[in-house]
Amino acid sequence: MSDSYTSSEASHRALRAIQQELERHPTVVAVQGFPDGYFTELRAELAVDRWGIDRENATITVRWFAGATPDARPEFEFHYSDEETDFGWHHHEQEHVDGWGNFQERTNDGGYTYEPYTFHAQNPAQLSWEIMSSLSSGLNSE
Amino acid sequence: MTDQKPGVEAWKEHTTAFDRVQSVATTVSKPRPVSYIADEAHVAENTARGHLERLVNLNVLLKTKRDDGALYSPDPLHTRMQTLRDLLEAHDRDGLIDLKIKLQSKIEAWKADYSVDSPGELRTRAAKTDTASQTRNLKKTASDWELARYRLSVLEDAIESYATYTKDFRASA
Repeated sequence: MSDSYTSSEASHRALRAIQQELERHPTVVAVQGFPDGYFTELRAELAVDRWGIDRENATITVRWFAGATPDARPEFEFHYSDEETDFGWHHHEQEHVDGWGNFQERTNDGGYTYEPYTFHAQNPAQLSWEIMSSLSSGLNSE
Repeated sequence: MTDQKPGVEAWKEHTTAFDRVQSVATTVSKPRPVSYIADEAHVAENTARGHLERLVNLNVLLKTKRDDGALYSPDPLHTRMQTLRDLLEAHDRDGLIDLKIKLQSKIEAWKADYSVDSPGELRTRAAKTDTASQTRNLKKTASDWELARYRLSVLEDAIESYATYTKDFRASA
């Protein structure tokens, strides 16, 4: 397969797997490829009241790029937003913290704060559950 | 014993071992042995082996035999057929053509905006930018472009063989 590797197909497979895992999560109401036709990202509608949190329009947006070669690190982001805030876990080049993994959160002045973040999971499926677990902890500690 | 990694217990609670093996095996970027997939899917190696063989028989995975054991990887044809089926379920022929126009227009717009002909050229340019945020934006667009091109190729296949696929699709429904 390495000889026939294409990053677009690998990215597409990862996005499909993430969609399937998010659909299995009890807090997720629906997941759709977005924009319609391109399917370059996923948008999941969340019922965070199931975690005892009172927020409207809770969604998580997922982007994934598998990397130009089979050994390249994937670039991805899982970004949460609701009526009050937005924050997310990202893995890509950036200038704010050392390394690729970072947690970023919107501040009151419209900017973002950044912290280094180390992802435990290595595959897109498990990563989806890791992020949902971190999201639940993050919202409950606010 | 519980797994301390965040989310793993919930993943195991809401999925079967087969689900997890399938999810992991269909997203590996290069052929992997049973031990790797079992570890990532949090299942015993023997369990993983059985599920992997079933997925090979279902044409979901490819199996490469080696002296030191088999390697498993996703079958690109299966991925393509899944996408094709999703498109045919969601759109009629006119809808597919509308989507094709939308995707082609987007790709044309990227070509005009960046004066390049391919996402590869855009990535080359991303390596020469002055700031990390410019690099990030160009790489993001290049990724979107690659995904759109993949989607467009499946879409063209769906339109070209629409009558055949929908006949088969209705027969199998």
